[in-house]
Amino acid sequence: MADANNDSKKTVRNFTFKALKATVKGTLFYGIYFVLWMYLAPISGIVPDLQQMVETFVIVYIFLIIVGELTSRTVFQYFFNVAKALFVIGYLIFSFKSGIFGLTFQNVRLMIDFRLFLVIAMLLSLLGLAKSVFQAINYMNEKAEYPLI
Amino acid sequence: MRIPIRMIGIATTFFWIFLIAFFVSAVYSVKDVHFDFGEPQMDVTSDNKVIFSLLVSITNRGFYNIGSFNISTEVSDKEGFTITRGSTFIPVINKNDVVTITHNMTIDVNDLLQRDKNYLFNDTELKIYEAVSMRIADVIPVQASTNFSMPWGAPLYNFTLGKAEYTAHNLTHFKVVVPIGFENRAFFDLVGNIQIQMYNSTDIIVGEGQTNIEAHHNSPYNGHLELYVSIGEMTESGHFEVYFLTLLFNYGPLVIPYG
Repeated sequence: MADANNDSKKTVRNFTFKALKATVKGTLFYGIYFVLWMYLAPISGIVPDLQQMVETFVIVYIFLIIVGELTSRTVFQYFFNVAKALFVIGYLIFSFKSGIFGLTFQNVRLMIDFRLFLVIAMLLSLLGLAKSVFQAINYMNEKAEYPLI
Repeated sequence: MRIPIRMIGIATTFFWIFLIAFFVSAVYSVKDVHFDFGEPQMDVTSDNKVIFSLLVSITNRGFYNIGSFNISTEVSDKEGFTITRGSTFIPVINKNDVVTITHNMTIDVNDLLQRDKNYLFNDTELKIYEAVSMRIADVIPVQASTNFSMPWGAPLYNFTLGKAEYTAHNLTHFKVVVPIGFENRAFFDLVGNIQIQMYNSTDIIVGEGQTNIEAHHNSPYNGHLELYVSIGEMTESGHFEVYFLTLLFNYGPLVIPYG
């Protein structure tokens, strides 16, 4: 009975700690977005739907951060990390398309070539994806090894 | 395996921070780049070509240098034929630097007339394509371009020869006074010479004369030209052949019938 009570307390304490960690990470990420947006705000008037696009990214990414933290120390954490990396790759492909960004503003056609940025961002995202896969493999390895010891 | 994974994580985080910080600061610094375009100037070169000059001042108060700055202009007619193009290139504009350049474009009016003589006599519109390109922070290529049209005023708009007046000069020749009228709607002054040859109905030249003209831009010109013709070879009808010899172009013959 006492053991069951202790386990229950431990679970609640762990969950509270995870929730706290997730909140801190989410708040930190939102803070970074908030600061960066102050720099990008001047161009939001020129680029249509820029704020909406960035906000969608931030919301989904914060959601994945929170869920990933809540499921930490389980294999699902790595699933959500992989999902996060895949989401970033998908978002980059969806929003940047070919990497050449064009818009027309009062008879002036503006073209910005983001291909170099896109390539680097994709490579970093793939690195993140690989890291998550390695972490999942490592987690499963460790889980399989401990019972033998 | 934990250490390599941690190293990958640290490296990825570091590069992400660097990439985002660089990207945001590069985009942000664009707002501190200013362009000032002066009034376009027009001049005539020693080889009688029209040269347009545009003074452009670029102030780079951004965080990074601007590389491969290029301004290019292309002037074409309604059918898309390129009349002239010009470009000005600056390899690097350093941060906290102000660079002033002159963007030049040359038009050879003779070449233009070879394409279509209507530029002399009829107003039209020219299409202009203007493009400014640069590399922000030397790595992000940006190009802004626009199309607009510019009116072309004909230098010899509504060119007409009036009714010739004949007076006896001596026993063998008439003095013929031919009124000349046109409006110089071009952006340049017209200075030169008009030569007229008078032909009878059998295409034999019966007389010729010339006069100097000076027509300022956007102003009408009214003058006359005197020529002496042989009485014996005169016929009631025939034609004039008009030649224009100016600083900017030579054109002729323009055939105008009389009688």
